[in-house]
Amino acid sequence: MNKKVLVVDDDPDVRTFILTVLEENNFIPIVAHDGVEGLEKIENEKPDLVTLDVLMPRGSGIRLYRKLKTDPSLKHIPVIMLTGIALKSFMRSQKTLSEFQGEKVPAPDFYLEKPVEPDELIDAINKSLG
Amino acid sequence: MKKNKILIIDDEENIVKFLSMSLKVDGYETVSAYNGKQGIEVFKKEQPSIVLTDIKMPEMDGLEVLREIKMIDPETEVIIITGHGDIDSTISALQFGASDFINKPVKDEALAIAIERAEAKIYMRGQLNEYTGNLEDKIEEATEEIKRKSNFQKLLIRSSNDGIAATDKNWRFVICNPEAEKIFGCKYSQIVNKKNMDIESIYPPDIIKAFRNAAKEEKDENLEWKETSFSSIDGKKIPIKFSGRILYQNHKMIGSVAFFQDLTDIKRLEKELVESEKMAAVGQTVSGLAHYIKNILIGLKGGSYVVDVGIAKNKTDKLIAGWSTIKRNIARVSDLVQDLISYSKERKPDYEICSPNNIIIDVIDLVKDFAKTNKINIKQKLDPDIKEASVDPQTIHRSLLNLMTNAMDACLDDENIDKRFEISINSYLEKDNQFRIEIKDNGSGMDSETQEKLFSSFFSTKGGKGTGLGLLLTKKLIEEHNGTINADTNLGEGTTFTIRLPYTKLADKIKDPVKEDLS
Repeated sequence: MNKKVLVVDDDPDVRTFILTVLEENNFIPIVAHDGVEGLEKIENEKPDLVTLDVLMPRGSGIRLYRKLKTDPSLKHIPVIMLTGIALKSFMRSQKTLSEFQGEKVPAPDFYLEKPVEPDELIDAINKSLG
Repeated sequence: MKKNKILIIDDEENIVKFLSMSLKVDGYETVSAYNGKQGIEVFKKEQPSIVLTDIKMPEMDGLEVLREIKMIDPETEVIIITGHGDIDSTISALQFGASDFINKPVKDEALAIAIERAEAKIYMRGQLNEYTGNLEDKIEEATEEIKRKSNFQKLLIRSSNDGIAATDKNWRFVICNPEAEKIFGCKYSQIVNKKNMDIESIYPPDIIKAFRNAAKEEKDENLEWKETSFSSIDGKKIPIKFSGRILYQNHKMIGSVAFFQDLTDIKRLEKELVESEKMAAVGQTVSGLAHYIKNILIGLKGGSYVVDVGIAKNKTDKLIAGWSTIKRNIARVSDLVQDLISYSKERKPDYEICSPNNIIIDVIDLVKDFAKTNKINIKQKLDPDIKEASVDPQTIHRSLLNLMTNAMDACLDDENIDKRFEISINSYLEKDNQFRIEIKDNGSGMDSETQEKLFSSFFSTKGGKGTGLGLLLTKKLIEEHNGTINADTNLGEGTTFTIRLPYTKLADKIKDPVKEDLS
């Protein structure tokens, strides 16, 4: 059965590109424009995997990632970060938040920096889904 | 204080005993002798400071004792005991240096007074000796100190990093330290105390003039530091900083002193610093530009992938989506180029008589739909006192549009999704012929680090979505329009940008900076 992948990104160009890559590789893509819409779609559509941008208006990727990884009913969903922000900066902000909230989150399954090659993305998705 | 030792000489034993007892009761140490000769012997042995001697004694009388004792120690106080009316011997005794006289029969009171006086004299002499001795020591000390200080000052002048040269009142050199030698390009021995060498032969004309003027005006303060250059005797040109002053004593000129700082190294360092700052700025610019172009390339690459899929699968929707991505990114390249061109070009404002408030309304019209979709409330309060004025509408329009877009981005960027976002744009007529426009948002605000970089090139908070030129350009436009722009921001609370522009009613009154430069 084809797997459902949610793409959360505020950049329409990135959405179009990732969506097309996913379709070409027989995934069922869903899109969200920001962090808030992203969480709604995760709860309603129950995707098998999420690709997530970091810098977005309305609830950044940093925040959404934390929500996903600290919610018992959602934390099993693999997340691939897809962003222009370096992994180091992302993990530093997560560490700061962990200390602040007293709750640790694991590192994402894959962290891909833009620009991403279609093969690279599909490879990461397949590995994450097992 | 230790009491003085007293020698008592009298041929009458009873008198010696009586005096001795009386003095001992008063606390003095006494020694006795019963004739002149014995007196001298005891004196030599005991070295008393006061001697009481009878004048009339067989063999060696009081006068001889007095002379002898004064020869041995002239500072001894000798008190003569005389009989009544013995005027001649009293006069002789005075001539020989007797200190005092007591009449016989000796009364306790008279004795006490005589001894006290003698003691006072001894004490005074002691003090005087001590004082004189001290004085000599002090003079020696002071001389040493002066020598030391003078040497120290000489050393100080010698080792100063500044060139120091001093002249007498005839402008002839009296001091020239090694650093000054270097700047002058000649040796101490060539100029100091040379009759044919004065400031005219060494200093550049502007320094000579400064000194001569100061002397004429009897200026008693340091001349202001001034940069000039020295063409030394050996033909080198040395950039220097110069100060100096005329020296006075009792309101009369006694000379001049000049201080020189060699600026050769400083000038070189300054140049290097400017160069390296330029290089750093170029580096920052290039890396900002590269980052922005990279983001455009990501868009173009993604777009062409989607177009490829559209062609291969013959899917029109993919072709349309991919193509629009490509077109959007072409637009971004063109925006970037446009921004770069505007930034690199000096633009003269194009003044027109128009209403600044109307321009604000136009800008709000342009952005209100976008604001509504994103649930941002826009408020306005425009000062009706601002009438038509001579401004460049394009400058105001572009600046406000940019600031409004930034304000909306700041709202969208805010992580606090419970906030009710609001942007207010207000105008005010100010007193000194200017008006002010404020754009205030309650969005994400900025930390101090961001605020510092706000107006620097290619710094963007919008990830790959901004060129990092927007505020830089706005600032340039406003400044070309003789205005100012500043930002007041608090992280998490929002930002207020304030623009101030000249409020001029007539077009011809506008100052034209470009024309001014040419005239």
